[in-house]
Amino acid sequence: MRQALDDIRVLDLADAMGGYCTKLLADLGADVVKIEKPEGDPMRREPPFLRSAPDGGTSLYWWYFNTNKRSVTLNLESADGRDMFLGLVKSADVLVETLPPAASIRLGVDYPTLRKVNSHLILTSITGFGLTGPYRDFRISDIVGQAMGGLMNITGLPHRPPCATGASQAYYMASMDGVVGTLLALCHRDATGQGQMVDVAMQGAVLKTVSASTVGYLVSRKVLKRTGLEYFRGVRDYFPCKDGYAMCSALGGSGADVMLDWMDSEGMAADLREERYAEVLAAMGSRRRMKKGFGKVAYVDPRRLGLYTHEIAHIQDVWAAWLKTHTREELFAGAQKRGVRLMPVYTAEDVAHEPQLIHRGFFTEVEHPELGAAFKCPGPPYRLAKTPCTMRRRPPLAGEHNLEIYQEEMGIPTRRLSWLKQRGVV
Amino acid sequence: MTLTSARLPLEGVRVLDFCWAVAGPSVTRCLGDFGAEVIKVESTARLDHGRMLPPVIRTGGAEVGALFVNNNCDKLGVTLNMAHPTARDIARRLAAMSDVVINNFASDALERWGLGYDDLVKVKPDIITVSMPLMGTDGPRANYGGYGTGLQAMAGLHYLTGFPDDPPLASNIAYPDFGPNPMHTITAILAALHYRNRTGQGQHIELCQLESTVSFGAVPVLDYLANGVVEMRHGNRAETAAPHGAYRCRGDDRWCAIAVFTDAEWDKLTEVMGRPAWTRQQEFGSFPARKEHEDELDRLLEAWTVNRDADQTMMSLQQAGVAAGVVQSGKDITETDPQVRERGYFLRLKHPEVGEVVCEDVTIKLSASPGKVRRPGPGVGQDNEYVYRQLLQMSEEEINQCYVDGVFD
Repeated sequence: MRQALDDIRVLDLADAMGGYCTKLLADLGADVVKIEKPEGDPMRREPPFLRSAPDGGTSLYWWYFNTNKRSVTLNLESADGRDMFLGLVKSADVLVETLPPAASIRLGVDYPTLRKVNSHLILTSITGFGLTGPYRDFRISDIVGQAMGGLMNITGLPHRPPCATGASQAYYMASMDGVVGTLLALCHRDATGQGQMVDVAMQGAVLKTVSASTVGYLVSRKVLKRTGLEYFRGVRDYFPCKDGYAMCSALGGSGADVMLDWMDSEGMAADLREERYAEVLAAMGSRRRMKKGFGKVAYVDPRRLGLYTHEIAHIQDVWAAWLKTHTREELFAGAQKRGVRLMPVYTAEDVAHEPQLIHRGFFTEVEHPELGAAFKCPGPPYRLAKTPCTMRRRPPLAGEHNLEIYQEEMGIPTRRLSWLKQRGVV
Repeated sequence: MTLTSARLPLEGVRVLDFCWAVAGPSVTRCLGDFGAEVIKVESTARLDHGRMLPPVIRTGGAEVGALFVNNNCDKLGVTLNMAHPTARDIARRLAAMSDVVINNFASDALERWGLGYDDLVKVKPDIITVSMPLMGTDGPRANYGGYGTGLQAMAGLHYLTGFPDDPPLASNIAYPDFGPNPMHTITAILAALHYRNRTGQGQHIELCQLESTVSFGAVPVLDYLANGVVEMRHGNRAETAAPHGAYRCRGDDRWCAIAVFTDAEWDKLTEVMGRPAWTRQQEFGSFPARKEHEDELDRLLEAWTVNRDADQTMMSLQQAGVAAGVVQSGKDITETDPQVRERGYFLRLKHPEVGEVVCEDVTIKLSASPGKVRRPGPGVGQDNEYVYRQLLQMSEEEINQCYVDGVFD
């Protein structure tokens, strides 16, 4: 079976910020060669670990972001190492690197240097703030990306500190801009033969997710704040139910009338049918009205809702009492049947048991013979009918492909290779 | 070092775009920014409800949704009422001239209209079709509908976000609609275009939005699958760093994020603080010790930041080599951040109805073929004339008949 990128070779000098970028390229079929320091990549020491034991190459973090890659070790700090690196660059289509701008120049991993070696090369640089501007040399981490990119400020409860979204979202977004930039450059090269430099900034990548906050501010001059359990309309979206939590945006938005019918059919609507709640429920939006007009009624005008604080508190109490009588699954299925917006809040365990993902075969069995382990791993995020992503190889051991690449592909003699090994170059 | 050519990377690629709301239009916006000709199909019978998302720009009698205008830059807008058989015929003719046909309907509407891959491959052998179903088209939850923030909850990301004693949380901006789902879809389309460039083969792409969003929280799922461990939210802490969090600064809702991974970084942080006595205590002398006394560490560090300006705190820490960043609001980003200004992440465009509008500029900087935001999201049917008359070469008579019959409603 062919794969979409099975004709390109990618050199991978990316840390955790760019790991997902090169993972996606590898899973789409590219020959991704991870260049590790002789002592092994720092990602190998990132938690969580298999059997929760941090020794012996058991990082599941490393596992997830390095499937389908090969690995060589190389000390870029040495002149011999840099020579070998240039040899690798000659036969590469893409280099993805996350070095700070000053380090990339010091180590010769910069575009002016590398395009002399390979003018077709696409060099994708992923940094915290980009290669230009006053903050280009800033130290970064995921939380700094989420903070400076505006995602963190709008995440959390109103009277509590802002909160980073879990699972390193700024790194994910930086990687996504990296992979999209790389593939755009590849399409350009398909047409022109020309390589180029792709400059990606984690901050810019995160910014894309918060246009409601940035463009929203420029238009309305209102600062979007953390709203906690209320997501869109100034009414609560988020409630405990019988076996966990449910996101129930139908209650306060399009479909509040449908939900009321549902509660009523189970004798749980309490007094919400009374006249004094009619106006506020209408202000929160009804599905029937939405079908007639379009859209606008689905979003509550907060100035109107501000007049109904007591009524809203009572309505939310009635909702909360009813939601407590149902499981997430009952609510989810029932809401789908009625065409209103309600979704379950899942833990990682719930995700692993989610029937739709299981039905679709999203989790694939993988093996790691050296660790004597086999387990299921989340699959690719998309399906390309003719060029599917497959698990071709488990993540590499450090330097596993030194011989294959240095000796067999680059033709470096055995004696030279052992000399380089003694000198700590590989 | 730049060899700028006038050519955009996706020049010559035409996209027939049935997307609506947010996640789908974000995909085609990016393709348009980088040179694809995107034809956005709408019907006055069922307008893209993304048009109504607040806030609204009002000038004189005209009003447009600011987020729609931003999220639909670089697209042509046509009206076509797909309920009409002639409209489906016209759509097929447009598809035959296109390279990519994309939709993000919850159901298989395009297949029912005869615009699925199996139909279109007959009129355009190398067509790439893209669908973005919420949960996929088969299985117990086939064709389920939903929305971005709900997907984030279902993918397990809420559960990983927030402080341990608080309920699980998320941002209030439907993150998956701007993050994983459009970005993964763009990735798949570009990979398929590259494959087509060298083999002449098109194909169908399916992005199941649940699978895509789960991918942004995959490691905790893997931890459960391999170890049976359920990772919980831990506020702003990180297993491999201390201190690590957002620390309150002077002023209303001002915070600075600080991340210290190594002893060397801790030393630099204490130096910036002027090495107060508490930093020399044994409880904070090593990473394991700091981790063990993290509550106390956070309290003492915040006692230092709380009287300081957030920007100055960031600058002094960064100058010393400590990762730090202001927890910026939309206002900070658009008004004061010099990096944002230097990188040019926002631009002003002329809108035909409401005058000047602000939109996001391209964030990915390509040296030889940079993207370019050329015009704001189109008005309803703004480009009917160009698409139907010039592109499809429909006759005056045919076009008039379509208007009369409601085909272009």
